[in-house]
Amino acid sequence: MTSATRLGEEATASGQASRRGRRSETVVLFIVANQMFAVAADSVHEIRSTDSIAGAANEIQHPEVPKVRHTIERSGRTYYVVNAGMHFGLPVSRPALVMILRRFRAALLVDRIDRMAEISGVYPLPQAFAGDDRRWYRGLAYLDDSVIPVVEPRGFLTPGEFQQLDRAQSEAARRDAEAVQA
Amino acid sequence: MSSLGIIGEAARENSFVLLQIGHRRIALPAAQVAELAPPVRLHAFPHRTPLLAGVIVRRGRIVPVIDTEPVLGGKSPLSHRFYLIANRTIGGASELGAIPVNGECELVSGDMQPPAMDRPAYVAGTLTVGEESVDVLNLEAFSTGDSTPQDSEASR
Repeated sequence: MTSATRLGEEATASGQASRRGRRSETVVLFIVANQMFAVAADSVHEIRSTDSIAGAANEIQHPEVPKVRHTIERSGRTYYVVNAGMHFGLPVSRPALVMILRRFRAALLVDRIDRMAEISGVYPLPQAFAGDDRRWYRGLAYLDDSVIPVVEPRGFLTPGEFQQLDRAQSEAARRDAEAVQA
Repeated sequence: MSSLGIIGEAARENSFVLLQIGHRRIALPAAQVAELAPPVRLHAFPHRTPLLAGVIVRRGRIVPVIDTEPVLGGKSPLSHRFYLIANRTIGGASELGAIPVNGECELVSGDMQPPAMDRPAYVAGTLTVGEESVDVLNLEAFSTGDSTPQDSEASR
């Protein structure tokens, strides 16, 4: 899915132009366990099939962050691959795509991409939502008579979870080095 | 339902809207009631907030829908016919919330009595209507987590 590599740049240009008016923005609509989500297109760096990156993925395990079981290396950076279904507490599904985020060392396992769309704006999440959802979502979009949650990319992994995963990865690397020496 | 508009205009401090939630009659201060909306589509998405069913879109606004079933019980998925939209205060700000309701709504006047000590948090007080004692709903309790299913009579 090589065309997706430039997805972010194109979306940023489009978004900046339209933000002068109605604050519309371009989003990527993706599906996890039959639930549709939106993410700002300029937050997405790249979208790949799970098959295409299987060889570049490394296993990682941390009991307190079970939604992350793999890392991938892209452009010299390590990205933690978050199972979006587990993150949102959805039923088990079969993710076929990895959505690599821009600016954050995280990638998302999702079932499929529905399409890109222009939304007229993001409605704030009502104050009634008071759980983890406030971290998960930037707000809500109204598109084609449906309300779609717009995810907050930083909400997929907290700073604490990044630290735990970084420690687990360092430990795994140290063990690997010791095994090679032995 | 235009009668709710009339109710809103006629609302006084001691006015209450009597409504049917599941099998129970509940009262809500009339001043809190914004409108009775038709059964528009409920939009649900993953979240971790207790007692929220999703959102509806009403008059260009996204309105959270309070899930009263775990607390009040008695609801079947097809039993509600309207959404009662009311104002409530969350974190110092006023926000609309919708409650699935069925049956008729009725405006009554009366003096709310404070709740008994053992009443759950979602009961703001009681109102005597004829020979019946009706709980007055404290909508704020649904947003603070004070009204948990364990706290409710439905779970007893």
